[in-house]
Amino acid sequence: MLKKMSYSSFPEDVLEHVFSFVQSDKDRNSISLVCKSWYEIERWCRKRIFVGNCYAVSPRRVITRFPEVRSVELKGKPHFADFNLVPEGWGGYVYPWIAEMASGYPFLEEIRLKRMVVSDESLELIPKSFKNFKVLVLSSCEGFSTQGLAAIAANCRNLRELDLRESEVEDLSGNWLSHFPETCTSLVSLNIACLGSEVSLSALERLLGRCPNLRTLRLNRAVPLDKLANLLCQAPQLVELGTGAYSAELRTEIFSNLAGAFSGCKELKSLSGFWDVVPAYLPAVYSVCTGLTSLNLSYATIQCPDLIKLLKLCPNLQRLWVLDYIEDSGLEALAASCKDLQELRVFPSEPFGAEPNVSLTEQGLVSVSEGCPKLESVLYFCRQMSNDALVTIARNRPNMTRFRLCIIEPRTPDYLTDQPLDVGFGAIVEHCKDLRRLSLSGLLTDRVFEYIGTYAKKLEMLSVAFAGESDLGLHHVLSGCDSLRKLEIRDCPFGDKALLANAAKLETMRSLWMSSCSVSFEACKLLGQKMPRLNVEVIDERGPPDSRPENVPVEKLYIYRTVAGPRFDMPGFVWNMDEDSALRLS
Amino acid sequence: MEVADHSCSSSIDSSNHPPFPSSSSSVVSSNIKRDLSTDLRLGLSIHNNDDCSTSTQRGDGFDWPPIKPLLRSRLADNYVQQQQQRHENSASLFVKVYMEGIPIGRKLDVYAHQGYKALISTLAHMFKTSIVLPDSDDVHWNREKHHVLTYEDKEGDWMMVGDVPWELFLTTVKRLKITRADRC
Repeated sequence: MLKKMSYSSFPEDVLEHVFSFVQSDKDRNSISLVCKSWYEIERWCRKRIFVGNCYAVSPRRVITRFPEVRSVELKGKPHFADFNLVPEGWGGYVYPWIAEMASGYPFLEEIRLKRMVVSDESLELIPKSFKNFKVLVLSSCEGFSTQGLAAIAANCRNLRELDLRESEVEDLSGNWLSHFPETCTSLVSLNIACLGSEVSLSALERLLGRCPNLRTLRLNRAVPLDKLANLLCQAPQLVELGTGAYSAELRTEIFSNLAGAFSGCKELKSLSGFWDVVPAYLPAVYSVCTGLTSLNLSYATIQCPDLIKLLKLCPNLQRLWVLDYIEDSGLEALAASCKDLQELRVFPSEPFGAEPNVSLTEQGLVSVSEGCPKLESVLYFCRQMSNDALVTIARNRPNMTRFRLCIIEPRTPDYLTDQPLDVGFGAIVEHCKDLRRLSLSGLLTDRVFEYIGTYAKKLEMLSVAFAGESDLGLHHVLSGCDSLRKLEIRDCPFGDKALLANAAKLETMRSLWMSSCSVSFEACKLLGQKMPRLNVEVIDERGPPDSRPENVPVEKLYIYRTVAGPRFDMPGFVWNMDEDSALRLS
Repeated sequence: MEVADHSCSSSIDSSNHPPFPSSSSSVVSSNIKRDLSTDLRLGLSIHNNDDCSTSTQRGDGFDWPPIKPLLRSRLADNYVQQQQQRHENSASLFVKVYMEGIPIGRKLDVYAHQGYKALISTLAHMFKTSIVLPDSDDVHWNREKHHVLTYEDKEGDWMMVGDVPWELFLTTVKRLKITRADRC
């Protein structure tokens, strides 16, 4: 017979020690649900928190529950903000968070933000409030300038990581780099690839020279190629490098310096940058290729033959981001030489032209799915696709966890049969049991959503554009996808019925975005009334939604669960459908 | 903003059945068929005529295809740069050529020609007619029998071919039209 064990017999500090080995947020959440005492112990030893929507909880509430946090990760705007679908001024301001944390978390060390509006004022507050601040990651953020960066550089004395990812920084001066004090030797990672203006090269060189632990350096396009060799010689220990502009006049001296510098970087595992690449200089990196696991060439105009040469030298590649210049033949070569490939992203070089400029079809992806057994993450832009190809890919790679396909022209059918691509995507969700992320494109009927609802049980994020026929499509997804957390939809004829019938489901999800769909203002009001823990926000730049006839659908709709109630920073084009407003408006 | 098609949802709305039939009934499958054909037509119309694409079809170029801003702006820059380079390398520049009385235009690579004379000669073959340049030495040409070549420049004005240096012409030509000389 099993003896019943009393949890309370464990001393608290033993449990705390055990919990410290549990890293995943999900598991920590589960721990805190076991009993009151575990909840208490867990909340006092939680060091890092992730808030997937900055409006889902108030900073005060977070600080009260988790008083000892050292690392905070926050996300702001909806994902579709990346593609210009969220109007300027929507929100996602980090200032209230930093202001609260300034008093609540004096020992805070790390802030990671995504799609948030970060003012210079917020940045200036960071070193003032957090004396041992170490890591600042700003991913797709905006609202700040190099002046704010200068404040970080000058005053965060133990800064380890400054990563600007894809942020939009107002470039007042490249001089901000020289604000790192001479005593700053702690940098491990510096990513300034998104900056437009020239940076002070001498300041950069000195900084590299005194930071022996620097592992990641991603330069911006303004750093010229003939200076790269010198910079590399200052930091031969680099593991990840983003080059600046990769072009220069063809001179043997520049080439041999560069090749020499690269061959000194024995630890390099990741390369990116290569802006304005001159292919003749590519052989300078050949010496480090064997060690590479990650290659981001999405800013590099390299044609297929040069790409093939490069890829054949990279047998250990795990991640490749590349423009469609790679073509089907390049992907075939990739499939033959890079057996460890896990992630492939192929971007269109001319997304705006109507005609294909390269020979990249579904065949390239089929080849990679055949040749690379570890492939599990795909983002693929192309102009033609077939159900056959998708079925083959699904059968080849049941281990796929992220599959995003963008056929550039909306509503493109199977080019062989002129049929919708329902069956193809259906095969993807049926065979890839662990699929977590999916983006659909091409001609699709409600049937594909039936497949998704039936099979995609682990799907967490779904992006849909120009697809489906009726409410039934959305209903299949909301009622069938048990693990769905984020759903984003644009230009689909989904409306009130599906939304209202699945209102309860929305409380289990982080967010739902719908733009240019068929949801009425009435339904939004009803939903807001019915579900007090959802913020139902109508975004309409045409003016108040109740000023239009009832049958005119709302422009954009963003629904998210929250324990914080309606937000206070809504601009004039956002309306929250809380209980009061619903009563007021009806 | 117009949304493509609501016919299906409205047909469900008006029915007295529960909103979502558990098995796919015949009502649903007939809806699928009907909407599919609508969608196909929509798809085709986008292909054939760029002008009719509304913001819900292709976006205004800023929200579709879904590419992050940094890469998007780089691609746009690259595109412009390449157009220029193509030009400099004399790779190819196809322009449409129309001739009065012929409904269908033809395409021609102006970069494949060394100068006005070569261009005129190609066109004369293409359209089986004789074309003269305005500054032609042949002063005896018969205005009724011959054709002249005009071009639309970047500003949208129609000009006589041959009035600017060949290199300059290459930078501004958008399309060509062959007209009867007596109509000019």
